[in-house]
Amino acid sequence: MDAIRTERLTKKYNLGWRKGRLLALDKLDLRVREGEVYGLLGPNGSGKSTTLKLILDLIAPTEGRAWVFDVPCSKVTSRLHIGFLPENPYFYRYLTGAETLEFYGKLCGMGGAPLKRRVEELLEMVGLTGARHRRLAGYSKGMLQRVGLAQALIHDPKLLLLDEPTAGVDPIGSKDIRDLILRLKGMGKTVLLSSHLLAQVQNVCDRIGVLNLGQLILEGDVQALISDQRRLSITVQDLPEAARTRVEEAVRAAGASVVSMEHPQTTLESLFLDALKKDQRGMGHHD
Amino acid sequence: MTETAVVAPAMSRERVGFSLNRVGIIAMNTLTEAVRQKVFNFFLIIGLVFIGSASFFAQFTFGEQMKFIKDTCLGVISVISTLIAIVGTAQLLPNEVENRTIYTILAKPVRRFEFLLGKFLGSLFLLDASILAMCLLFGAVLFIKEQGMIRELHQAYGVNLPAAEATDLNQQIQQVTKAALDVDLVKAVVAETMKATLVAAITLLISTFSTSLVFNVIVPFMIFVAGMLRGAAAEVWAGHKLLMALLAVVPDFGLFSIADEINLGNVVPWAHIAEIVVYGLVRTFIIVVAAHLIFSRREI
Repeated sequence: MDAIRTERLTKKYNLGWRKGRLLALDKLDLRVREGEVYGLLGPNGSGKSTTLKLILDLIAPTEGRAWVFDVPCSKVTSRLHIGFLPENPYFYRYLTGAETLEFYGKLCGMGGAPLKRRVEELLEMVGLTGARHRRLAGYSKGMLQRVGLAQALIHDPKLLLLDEPTAGVDPIGSKDIRDLILRLKGMGKTVLLSSHLLAQVQNVCDRIGVLNLGQLILEGDVQALISDQRRLSITVQDLPEAARTRVEEAVRAAGASVVSMEHPQTTLESLFLDALKKDQRGMGHHD
Repeated sequence: MTETAVVAPAMSRERVGFSLNRVGIIAMNTLTEAVRQKVFNFFLIIGLVFIGSASFFAQFTFGEQMKFIKDTCLGVISVISTLIAIVGTAQLLPNEVENRTIYTILAKPVRRFEFLLGKFLGSLFLLDASILAMCLLFGAVLFIKEQGMIRELHQAYGVNLPAAEATDLNQQIQQVTKAALDVDLVKAVVAETMKATLVAAITLLISTFSTSLVFNVIVPFMIFVAGMLRGAAAEVWAGHKLLMALLAVVPDFGLFSIADEINLGNVVPWAHIAEIVVYGLVRTFIIVVAAHLIFSRREI
């Protein structure tokens, strides 16, 4: 069973009198398999958020249909198994972290001791136990993102829709969210995330789809899409200069050509995280 | 983030019917927002200050003092409850959309009608709590005034009264007590509460299609004023079919203004109050249904 299926899903927004209509999404045929992490990529205005809103029935399609676990998205029951984190979420600033999760849990039909336990679990999981009694007005952007993730998970949904989950979050928070997505995948959850931070998507997604001007222009398995089958990269350690020359000669003798030989570089993100880990005062925390 | 196991009770039911429980949760959250954000405390405090100080401005005869206090307090309850109904309801939906909190709620298995009704009931809870607070102070002011007047009467008459003067004193005390414990005041408060409820419903309807807070405040206020002048307008516009049809849509808010009648000593029967309440409830129901029809199709 597909977690998400859309058929010719189309959305045109009315721009007002005499301004015509804007085609935000054009006949999208999308299938997100149960248990996979699917990345919906695209520049701003490509139709990513519109797709998520259509799946959540926040807006009505102009044409086409969408289903969540074979339930039409127009039915409330389709949202029984969805957890949603909007882009740059703002929650009720007058509620504390724990009250926020309790509120969303009650909306999902939870209550009593199981809800209390679930709230504690999720606060611990997203690292907000220390800030549980603080009102959200005093939360940082990263903390709001984490409480947003917790509310999306409160009713243990099978499908998570994450709209730009790492937008505006520092590298530590961003890595935490990536790790959490991988853990959720390990638990059998399906994740559909929209993003334009390609490097981050590459590390967590099984498949991606690229939207541009409302159309799906590229789709496939991440590893298959990014690997270049004509090239081979070999990393060796402590290779003497003489041996290096012989390797180059062997490559040429085999009829191939050496495209580049260089020292591998770490990523700026790894460098940043290593530096923080080595700091004697400990790693910065959001609480 | 820590390595806590993610285990939660999965929702087993696959049907999502209308739930009063969810409506109540949203209503209570709306009330919590109003109380914690303290915006409405401002209106309430102004109302309480006016009601509390009403007795200090009454330097008239006993009867006139009571009438002045009642006039002032009922007037303050009327104005403040109307203001809270409009301002409290006008911002409900625009705030939810602007802060994107509506996304997280409607992404859960929550029906739009439950959300709308919850927000409206939360607004009414706030309104009724405010009216109750003003009424309690109003009652306290009347009680203190009554006790003060009785004390003054006792001092004026002195002790060891002849039978005729004692009878006169008792009659005056009874008049003061009757004026203070006037059951007709309850009727006036019921009518004012119903009026404010209807104003809140109109504001909710406007806010389902308008995102401008200013528009959401001004239009219901204009409708309210038009409704107050409906009787006079009907006389002036008699014969103009279009204007009369327009007038028919506007609720007759003049119906709810029974405080003047009560203060003039005219009897307002409970049957009339019942008619007013039914009129208000039917209008409120129709308006909330209209608001639902618009909101259920709104793109968020």
